[in-house]
Amino acid sequence: MRRLKRSLLLPAAAAMALAMAAAGCAQSDRDGGGDASERNESDPFIFAGASNPRSMDPIYASDGETFRVSRQTTEALLRHEPGGTELEGALAEDWEHNEEGTEWTFFLRDGVTFHDGDEFNADAVCANYERWNETTGMAQSSSVMYYWNVLFDGFAENEDDDMPDSNFVGCEAEDDLTVTIEIEEYSARYPGAFSMAAMGLLSPSTIEQIPDDPVGGDSDDPSLPEYALDDTIAGTGPYELVDWDHGSEEVKLERFDDYWGDTANIREMIIKTIDDETARRQALEAGDIHGYDLVAPADVDPLADAGFNVPERDVFNVMYLAMVGDERIEDDHPDRLEEAEALADKDVRTAIAHAVDRQRIVDTILPPGGEVATQFIPDTLSGFSSDVTTYDYDPDLAREMLEDAGYEEGDLELEFCWPTDTTRPYMPAPQDIFNVVSNDLEEVGITVNENGLIWDDYIPYTEDGACSLYLLGWTGDYNETYNFLGTWFAGYKSAWRFEDDDVFDTLDAVNAEPDDEARIELYEEANEAIMDYLPGLPLSSSPPSIAFAEDIDPPTVSPLTQEDFAETSWAE
Amino acid sequence: MSRFIVRRLLQLIPTLFGLSVVLFIWFNRLPGGPEFALMPENATPEQREQMREILGLDEPVAVQYMKFLGRLAEGDLGVSIASGRPVLEEFATRFPATAELAILAILIAVTLGIPLGYIAARNRGRFLDFAAIGGSLLGICTPVFFLAYIFKVIFAENLGIFPSAFRQSAGLNATNITGFAILDGLMTREWDAALDAFMHLVLPAAAVATIPLAVIVRMTRGSVLEVLSEDYVRTAEAKGLHRQTIRGRHVLRNSMLPVVTAIGYLSGQLLAGAVLTESVFAFNGIGYFIYQATQSRDYPVVMGFILIIALIYVLINTLVDISYNLLDPRVRVN
Repeated sequence: MRRLKRSLLLPAAAAMALAMAAAGCAQSDRDGGGDASERNESDPFIFAGASNPRSMDPIYASDGETFRVSRQTTEALLRHEPGGTELEGALAEDWEHNEEGTEWTFFLRDGVTFHDGDEFNADAVCANYERWNETTGMAQSSSVMYYWNVLFDGFAENEDDDMPDSNFVGCEAEDDLTVTIEIEEYSARYPGAFSMAAMGLLSPSTIEQIPDDPVGGDSDDPSLPEYALDDTIAGTGPYELVDWDHGSEEVKLERFDDYWGDTANIREMIIKTIDDETARRQALEAGDIHGYDLVAPADVDPLADAGFNVPERDVFNVMYLAMVGDERIEDDHPDRLEEAEALADKDVRTAIAHAVDRQRIVDTILPPGGEVATQFIPDTLSGFSSDVTTYDYDPDLAREMLEDAGYEEGDLELEFCWPTDTTRPYMPAPQDIFNVVSNDLEEVGITVNENGLIWDDYIPYTEDGACSLYLLGWTGDYNETYNFLGTWFAGYKSAWRFEDDDVFDTLDAVNAEPDDEARIELYEEANEAIMDYLPGLPLSSSPPSIAFAEDIDPPTVSPLTQEDFAETSWAE
Repeated sequence: MSRFIVRRLLQLIPTLFGLSVVLFIWFNRLPGGPEFALMPENATPEQREQMREILGLDEPVAVQYMKFLGRLAEGDLGVSIASGRPVLEEFATRFPATAELAILAILIAVTLGIPLGYIAARNRGRFLDFAAIGGSLLGICTPVFFLAYIFKVIFAENLGIFPSAFRQSAGLNATNITGFAILDGLMTREWDAALDAFMHLVLPAAAVATIPLAVIVRMTRGSVLEVLSEDYVRTAEAKGLHRQTIRGRHVLRNSMLPVVTAIGYLSGQLLAGAVLTESVFAFNGIGYFIYQATQSRDYPVVMGFILIIALIYVLINTLVDISYNLLDPRVRVN
């Protein structure tokens, strides 16, 4: 009996012993690719993003994870200063525009080469812009070339009659290092558009292999072109693309030694995907990665206390509580009429603004660096006004205003929506934020009817203004206030359902004003007009946190999450 | 026998057809879609609608389904909405990872489960028996993802024995021949790569193995108890056969028949467990990819992957039935 048991358990014991022995051997081989005490520039730097990049050619993407990769491999004409939001030259050293804002001249950087050896010059710039504008077929859809649609409206030959004409008129090489891009009509999208990661420039040789109609597959099954999904693109960035292993969800980048600026400190960078924020933290703690983005607010302090580097980004987003009040809602949602009528009353909206303790949200929920928002843009943007009407936390005043408006305790019932299954850089813990706001509203006598929705339901529901109150926000694409205000308040939008000529006219004016100083003044006016009208309550701006291993000297962190990983190095 | 095999293969057609209909209806009933998961929150309703039109999601479900069937008939499972790559290519890239995970999990379950089940049966009513039964009950009742998480916290985070994520260490530069990382490492004599892949497999495989292990323990115990009471065992003992011979040739071998069958249907459990476990470990197999695809409403991936998995599942069960036929003469007689 005893002998038999031994013989049966032998394979199991052997397997366990093998695993433990292997663990001993492998332990020294891990810690993210080497012994932490003997780091050198040839050890790969492994960073985890939250989802897979969509394409190595950034023009086909609209998401931060793709741009995180493409910003290391390709560059646009302009960029934002390290750690800040001011535009500065990237592949262009300087730029200017005519008085109408329709001709943008860029003075290009000399001595820049693409990863494949092609020379960077004015012709290369035009080759890129003309290629984008002349794209045909399904690639014109905003689900493929989202940012071209957003920034330049249409294409040389639109496939869809409903699509607006292209705002891109042409590109001319004045000489080798001077290029002029002409647009049909100035708008506040420029020059920010020339800094977008989606506008990362590819080498002429790469462009030659791209078909005019790049999206393949049949009409219901569009597929991206092969070159966008492999490792053949050549840009000018500090890192060149070596391999994109789809199976391992791993993008491998290698230092570009002929980079025009400071070459990368670490030779090899690997960007992996871990979509769960807890799993990302655990991978950092276990030494399997050396950095990750979108740290959960609750993890920030424990990671810092444990010795990890958790540098604080400046804020570049805003979260708000929308208050949808317009009797016209009856056409779409008759059941919402009573609530809309209540919220159409400015005093009710003001009472709600005074009822919410925004400082508590910042102090107890947001990561360090979070701020109460006084208007619908973060204070890092030009056009931020210090003269807006403010609404301090004052529950007694809120109660009083509601009574004056004819609402006794419990009379006012409002549906309040929040997203149940997602976090956003500006909204790191939706349920906690909902709970605070909702309790504050109940505290002043408002009856809150909670409506938690999954993100895919939430967006269409809120886009339609179907909730009286809801939480949402935005992280800016580039330093232009219109990128925030224009999105929400340039005309009547179903998501807000408010009508205020002061606001609409000011935003129309600002969108047509190419002079920087005049535009900033108009933005300040717009912010003041919006906060006077109070279509919603700006709640907070919060820095999305990023974390690195103890032995990493992190790059300068960017409020726009545009870190240049070439600055990263192993700590001495 | 050949008629049996043909009949089983023909049964595949209605099974997969029914499954595809159910899947299609289920996926169409899900709220939201890729136009919300894959576009920025500032995208306009018109832009989202345009995406739906391009993907054919604005058409009636029946039309969408007929188009899907038409493509399927040509062996085309479509293109992933999120990655823009063919679904079959995505599956082929990730299948070896999940296959390695499933094989190791089954090996763990069989290697530990059969001896434990046998020992429990031989010690019926004693401590060892209760421990095995109690342990297996716990194994069946504990959610796989919870176990995976606990394993990760203890063995990867706190003790640092095993890696916490991925299928292989990043930047390993291992040669890829078959896609099976351990096998490739052994074939190319890149021992480090093989060991690295094995280390990454241990924790997820241990988690995935839990339910099959528990089932095998219980089935082996029950089966051994049944066989021990058979007349031919008593006859063998009366003939004075060596105890080892009786236990090996008569008891254990005959007890294994139901266990072999169980391994077939456990493969389905394995794949279900793999989806959750791979997600916890960011282990780049088909389970993790299905999870990601569900998040982004990438319906061609979910449809395609589940259909292929169902096909594999049915084929495995067919093979098990065939082997059962070969192993047990009584089945053929019946």
